[in-house]
Amino acid sequence: MEPVIQTRNLVHEYKGGVRALKGVDIDIHHNDVVSIIGQNGSGKTTLVRHFNGLLKPTEGTVTVDGEDTEGKSVSFLSKKVGYAFQNPNHQFFCETVKDELLVGPKNFKFSETEAQEKLEYVVDLLEIEDILTKHPMTLDYTRKKIVSIASILTFSPKVVIMDEPTGGLDEDGRKILKNTMDLLHEQGNTVIMISHDMDFVAENTNRVIVMAEGQVLMDADCQTVFRREDVLKKAWIEPPQITQLGNAVCKDGIFLSVNDFVTHFKNRITT
Amino acid sequence: MKPIIEFQDYSYFYPKEEEAAIKNISVTINQGEFVGIIGRNKAGKSTACLSMIGIAPHTIGGDWIGNVIVNGILLDESTVGTITNHVGVVFQDAESQFTQETVEDEIAFAMCNMGIERTEMLNRVKKVAKDCNLTDFLDRSPFQLSGGQQQRLAVACLLALKPEVVILDESTSQLDPIGRDEIFSLVSKLHQLGRTVVMVDHNIEKIAQYTSKIMVLFDGEVKLYGDTREILQQKELLNQYHIRLPQVTDAAYGLKEEKGFTTLPITLDEAVGAFSNEDKKGGDISGASYSNEKSCS
Ligand SMILES: Nc1ncnc2c1ncn2[C@@H]1O[C@H](COP(=O)(O)OP(=O)(O)OP(=O)(O)O)[C@@H](O)[C@H]1O
Ligand SMILES: [Mg+2]
Repeated sequence: MEPVIQTRNLVHEYKGGVRALKGVDIDIHHNDVVSIIGQNGSGKTTLVRHFNGLLKPTEGTVTVDGEDTEGKSVSFLSKKVGYAFQNPNHQFFCETVKDELLVGPKNFKFSETEAQEKLEYVVDLLEIEDILTKHPMTLDYTRKKIVSIASILTFSPKVVIMDEPTGGLDEDGRKILKNTMDLLHEQGNTVIMISHDMDFVAENTNRVIVMAEGQVLMDADCQTVFRREDVLKKAWIEPPQITQLGNAVCKDGIFLSVNDFVTHFKNRITT
Repeated sequence: MKPIIEFQDYSYFYPKEEEAAIKNISVTINQGEFVGIIGRNKAGKSTACLSMIGIAPHTIGGDWIGNVIVNGILLDESTVGTITNHVGVVFQDAESQFTQETVEDEIAFAMCNMGIERTEMLNRVKKVAKDCNLTDFLDRSPFQLSGGQQQRLAVACLLALKPEVVILDESTSQLDPIGRDEIFSLVSKLHQLGRTVVMVDHNIEKIAQYTSKIMVLFDGEVKLYGDTREILQQKELLNQYHIRLPQVTDAAYGLKEEKGFTTLPITLDEAVGAFSNEDKKGGDISGASYSNEKSCS
């Protein structure tokens, strides 16, 4: 099947000459759940902003559903590819959270009932009932991040991109995010998440793209990536603490969660 | 020990809110301590930080009861200006604090206001830029940095001022893991030099590794406040407050019986030690046996 998103030799140079992407080739497939990780400034945000047309390639191509994005507007591409900003302050322009959540459905001409249904569904899913009448800019940063994700989900794009959704989230918030990602996956969506939170990455995604200095260093499943401490070091990443412990004390496996580790040791002791 | 920040029966209400965001707390942070504040979202962590520098209530407004005493000055008698001579804070949302055209000017800006002499200023800019990995970006606009680079810049601006009390309120949330560790280790060095450090952070592994005390906030109240190691032994209690253990501590907890642990390891180094002598049956460890290791990790 053709990839949902494909980049070939993607180069991006910002005005002023910063070459943020230096030839990136990736394929994101239908229903993938992918994490993009890598050091600050490695080009993660720059990369995904090409997927909905917020940035245009300096060189190379980006295709969505097989169609070249060249000449396509952000609003056209957003219908398929929703992007929740890293900095939510840049995303909001309405007076209330509720209006913010209805921007997508209105733009894409959802019927009144359909928009209302979507709204209720997302509000329930992300547990944001209590802030609907608030001004988005008055929320604390973490709630802003949640609203920015919610406002993407209300128009049901096929591909959902979240740029550092875990930053500042507490345990409860992480559970909500995890459920949301699972649900999106079940419903057949494609999910792309940028994160510096390796526990969350290890437990919730199976494919990891590692970036450093505008290039893809590695693109593989979690097990493979978190075994490669050399690659990770280049990308300024430490594996989850439990993985590091496992790597240090136990040569026969790679552990991505506390549960994995505990179960393994229990078996080893009883056998 | 000299108290540097004292909350005395302090409650704070945001403007137009009926419920207090901070409810009758009485705690003292002493000079030279490294305190981690943890708790779920809306527990009152940021409000506590805002109150430590007087932004709440002096800038935001709202009502308060009781007192916050910073460096001996009562809240009623202080202004944000008098407090920020001693206390500096960085919040999660770095970008909205920037006003200058280049990274270099941004770092120098606050120092100008404090009347720091020019050569000294330039030296400090160089030093903190290096510490925070910003040397390559000095001529760049703060608004043309990546999210994580912006957070580093905000931390750099604060460190350049050399405040006696450094407060970082979730200001490592967008840093890459090694960068996050570097910031923790940077403030840990300041702590070793005698400065007071307060970190609000959801990364419990780093809190466990670096802080000496933990304050647990829950619904505006201080539920626990004490030695980091002791607090992290109490899984059930922490879970009640929606806080998890560091991964290695949790793993040791899960294997407590099998391994006969009496004290749970709280850092990776400790856990590696505790788990690698497993053939010798049981990796029993006592808190005292590695309390020294902690400061050098
Ligand atoms: N508007 C801009 N103008 C010029 N350079 C920029 C701009 N935005 C980002 N950059 C630079 O482009 C490079 C890639 O930035 P990008 O935001 O894509 O990184 P990132 O991987 O998302 O980092 P982070 O983890 O900090 O969010 C960095 O060197 C950054 O400084
Ligand atoms: Mg980014």
